[in-house]
Amino acid sequence: MKRKGLSILCLVLVVAWLSGCATTETTKKPYKLSQQGTVIWEDEFEFLPPPPGWKLLRVEAGENDINFGFMRSDPGPFPSVTTFAYDEEPFGCTPGFEQREKEFFKRFLFNAIVQFQILEKKKVQVVGGEGLAVLVEGKDPIKKEKVRAKVVFGKRGDRVVGFYITQWRPMDGSYDLSAFEVFDKFVASFKFLKKSFYETL
Amino acid sequence: MEGHQRNLYLYERFNARVLGVSRDDVLTLKYWAKGLDLTFPLLSNITAFLGVSVDAQVEGRPIFSRRTIIIDKTGIIRYVRDGSPEFKDILLFLKKLNQEGGKP
Repeated sequence: MKRKGLSILCLVLVVAWLSGCATTETTKKPYKLSQQGTVIWEDEFEFLPPPPGWKLLRVEAGENDINFGFMRSDPGPFPSVTTFAYDEEPFGCTPGFEQREKEFFKRFLFNAIVQFQILEKKKVQVVGGEGLAVLVEGKDPIKKEKVRAKVVFGKRGDRVVGFYITQWRPMDGSYDLSAFEVFDKFVASFKFLKKSFYETL
Repeated sequence: MEGHQRNLYLYERFNARVLGVSRDDVLTLKYWAKGLDLTFPLLSNITAFLGVSVDAQVEGRPIFSRRTIIIDKTGIIRYVRDGSPEFKDILLFLKKLNQEGGKP
């Protein structure tokens, strides 16, 4: 039997790095509306948009970042805001949902340094397959802020994709659960219109 | 680095291996790899000769510039890009290189 090593081309990819990140911007409008009232995003995704009052959020247009999302300023003092997004490359690496969830929450909202408590975790159907939905609450007792978040992991081909919503409030504020219903409708309506880059590679 | 970790199965498909190189010490890299669940090798090059050899070391700076380099099986550098890795570009290049390698 041939040694595996002999058959390997031995390409070596070397990476040197330092902190920081680069982003690019696009000026072309990335979406159009269908006759059914859904949004067609870059001819790749289709989804039901949120009602008026939500602003389109495109944090980064780089390939490694959030694809797009929506945000809404909520009544009440800082930091009353709700944001939800689709993420093609959620934190973590593992293709299995259970392990990915653990990896994800190591870094999710890591700048805020909140301690998360899992409120609910359940299997769901998402983007035509099985997924995992995790509802959490995080608290920052120093800043006296809290956040309620829901993360839904799904699959696109072999890779895990994610949807998430975060709703920030002052510690004594109350959450607006109607925003989570908007998010759930967004996720439930989400479709892939074509195979991903990785599926066609 | 997480992006590379996610793509390991694709690098495998294209007969490529990934290595990370930085000027951090071994202990720092161990903790860092553990934190990000990285399974590929990270090389500690405190003396910076590796970075100097691929022009990723700016004189007087204590860290390497972020640079992605692809070296083929004969040791020739075939791809160099500065800044954050463009994973799709890297994968397409590796696919092409692998196909070239398969030719008689």
